[in-house]
Amino acid sequence: MYLYDEIDRDMLADRASEFRGQVARRLSGEITEDQFKPLRLMNGLYLQLHAYMLRVSVPYGSLSPVQLRALAAVSRKYDKGYGHFTTRTNIQFHWIKLKDTPDILDELATVGLHAIQTSGNCIRNITADPYAGATADEVDDPRVWSEVLRQWSTFHPEFSFLPRKFKFAVTASPKDRTAAKAHDIGLVLRRNRDGVLGFEVMVGGGMGRTPHIASTIREHLPADHLLSYVEAVLRVYNRHGRRDNMYKARIKILVASLGIDEFRRQVDAVWALIEQGEIDLPPSELARIRAAFAPLNFESLPAISPTFEAERANNPALARFARNNLRPHKQPGYAIVEVSLKAPGATPGDATAEQMELIADLGERYSLGDVRVTHAQNLVLPHVKLDDLPAVHAALAAAKLATPNIDLVTDIIACPGLDYCALANARAISVAQDIGEKFTSPDKAELIGELKIKISGCINACGHHHVGHIGILGVDKKGEEFYQLTLGGSGAEDASLGEMLGPALAYDRVAGAVETLVDTYLSVRVGDERFLDTFRRVGVAPFKEAVYADAH
Amino acid sequence: MKALSANRLIDGDVVFWSNGSGVDQFSKAELFYDSAAQDAALEQAKSQFTTVVEPYLFDVAKQGGIFVPVSYRERLRALGPTNEPTHGKQAQGGHEIAALAKAVGGGHTSGRIDLLRKN
Amino acid sequence: MPTLIKLAGGTAAWADDDFVMVGLEDSVPLSGKVILPLSRYAAEAPAILAQGRKVGVRLEGADEVEALAPFLADLSVIALEFSKFRDGRSFSSARLLRERFGYRGEIRAVGEVLRELAAFMMRCGFDAFEPTDGSTPEEWAATVHRYRHVYQRAADSRAPAFVEREA
Repeated sequence: MYLYDEIDRDMLADRASEFRGQVARRLSGEITEDQFKPLRLMNGLYLQLHAYMLRVSVPYGSLSPVQLRALAAVSRKYDKGYGHFTTRTNIQFHWIKLKDTPDILDELATVGLHAIQTSGNCIRNITADPYAGATADEVDDPRVWSEVLRQWSTFHPEFSFLPRKFKFAVTASPKDRTAAKAHDIGLVLRRNRDGVLGFEVMVGGGMGRTPHIASTIREHLPADHLLSYVEAVLRVYNRHGRRDNMYKARIKILVASLGIDEFRRQVDAVWALIEQGEIDLPPSELARIRAAFAPLNFESLPAISPTFEAERANNPALARFARNNLRPHKQPGYAIVEVSLKAPGATPGDATAEQMELIADLGERYSLGDVRVTHAQNLVLPHVKLDDLPAVHAALAAAKLATPNIDLVTDIIACPGLDYCALANARAISVAQDIGEKFTSPDKAELIGELKIKISGCINACGHHHVGHIGILGVDKKGEEFYQLTLGGSGAEDASLGEMLGPALAYDRVAGAVETLVDTYLSVRVGDERFLDTFRRVGVAPFKEAVYADAH
Repeated sequence: MKALSANRLIDGDVVFWSNGSGVDQFSKAELFYDSAAQDAALEQAKSQFTTVVEPYLFDVAKQGGIFVPVSYRERLRALGPTNEPTHGKQAQGGHEIAALAKAVGGGHTSGRIDLLRKN
Repeated sequence: MPTLIKLAGGTAAWADDDFVMVGLEDSVPLSGKVILPLSRYAAEAPAILAQGRKVGVRLEGADEVEALAPFLADLSVIALEFSKFRDGRSFSSARLLRERFGYRGEIRAVGEVLRELAAFMMRCGFDAFEPTDGSTPEEWAATVHRYRHVYQRAADSRAPAFVEREA
């Protein structure tokens, strides 16, 4: 993985010292809250329902064991001993004190972590495929380009005060694990017929109040022109995106109002006038960054591990874990291991300090020093030898981290919701917990198969409800929590927006409604159709009928 | 009837206004009956900007013999998050917290708890 | 008391501002240097320039710098407005003036001009500032120079990290 050099480390030190000064000026009364708020937000510090929340960036979802231990240490020393991993692959601490934040940023900087690009109307932390460097189906390593983008966008002098926040996703695989089409810019690496590496550039995706699936602005942008091209996109957006209404300020609105063809024409006109050679990275720097992601020293192993096979045959829990939480690795004899942060009754995405430390230890010992965060709020050990799987599984199970439910009904995405968030209208965590209680049988969960439930506590859609197979949106009706259900959304390569099921449901009817939806699916599905496939075939009618049949 | 809440600048803790400064517990919050008293409290809190941030007024009503916040959001602030019963104000325990939790239906329950509506 | 900070050769210093900012409805002074709003520039600047007086122009965030292309040789100052902290359009305007149009005269930041924006402004090509937060030239310079490195090329001469690493 990319290790910060002296320049990168100086950047973090300079940032931390700047924020220390700003906090001191606020505490002394030299600046007011109105003046301080944008400054603290630029350092990931929000004021939430119960306390300050510090959002720490996990650039493209990649963590070293040392970094993960530092996050655990921060949670123990300055918070309540846990952290919350988010749908943007960042981590949030929910009980932070303002007076401690300069020290926290200093401590994080010593391990190359920071809160840059986690708030404000700038280019935010970049999402990348959490299986990068491990999956067989990628044409290049998306982390290379994510790091290129991270450096280019960090403290970008022109693009730090955009009309609204701006999110990139980068993937190099036909199977999209980044929700690329729901980002402001989604980049999919491909080789063209001549073998030239390039990006399909998609623009104008997003969720929130007016969800859009991104449109393709360029089929194949030569990879080494990435920076000058996105600079052109951002310049058009910075100059022409709406600034009069924050709900219409995202690039999706600009793209939709101009139409993709006119937007493309404007971008191309700007791009043609940019000194591309000045902006695009020289080959030497690209090579330096690429070297940081060079293939690891994998052992040459047989594709099948007799140790693992024998253990699996005797241990049903391991067998179930293997069925649901392992993904194929490009190197024979290895597997990608998903670590679920969705144990029954748990808060989706939360990990205690002890759990973080355990995963750090496992990452160090069994996964070549590599840990990833997924946008589904789980963690990944990307390079585990099949021979080691029994030991890894046992260690995870002992820490309640071996829940065998990846992509299943209980692997629910939920934002912090009204329990923590100052913007929320309704809770999301407890809805996820209630749904979990309806699906306690792991056999039934496997029978149901892939089913992505995504819950947001407000229209800002941090819980990605628009692209949930079942999406759940909390709304406030006269001080009471109600929930709007949508069906048929997808954030993957077959992206689509969910369709409204019917009138919003009161809190205590939501989990039951989800159970009804699942039963309806099971009764009408054909073959091995996923919930999403069945919905796309039969439409909303049978689901609506079932949920509202007993409504009065 | 309203009470006033804010967060303490230095640590972000939720506070309730009482006699010109912030206190930790909703049960100790001063109640402001008329708009003149409410406005005065808000102005006073805003003026103490090196102590508290983002002060605002919220509706309070009597229920089960005690005063409780009307909106679910304010109940959460007065008690703490429902997914972590040992975090936030509820961790302090005591009969006043217990009474508030009882009046609002407890920590982990539906949103439909003897619903009080804003007048 | 001066209110204008100028940046030259990496040093920030107070500067006398001998330009009069002419508002949309104001009448133009009979003598001296003036800065006109963009909407009045084309009609009124020629006569003032003909008197041998210096003229500048003021653009709001929404104004497009492309409109200045025919006038750049005549302009002594281009004032770009930041209507509020969040409005970053003038950063693009300044870069375009420097990089696309090759304008070498003064680019002045006006409006909501805060110390926290100093480094960004400088990197986009601003070299004169009317701070509204009481900043002194020393404070301004400290902010501009706080970061020892930059990651990307912009309108200033700072070498980005990828060039530093080559050295």
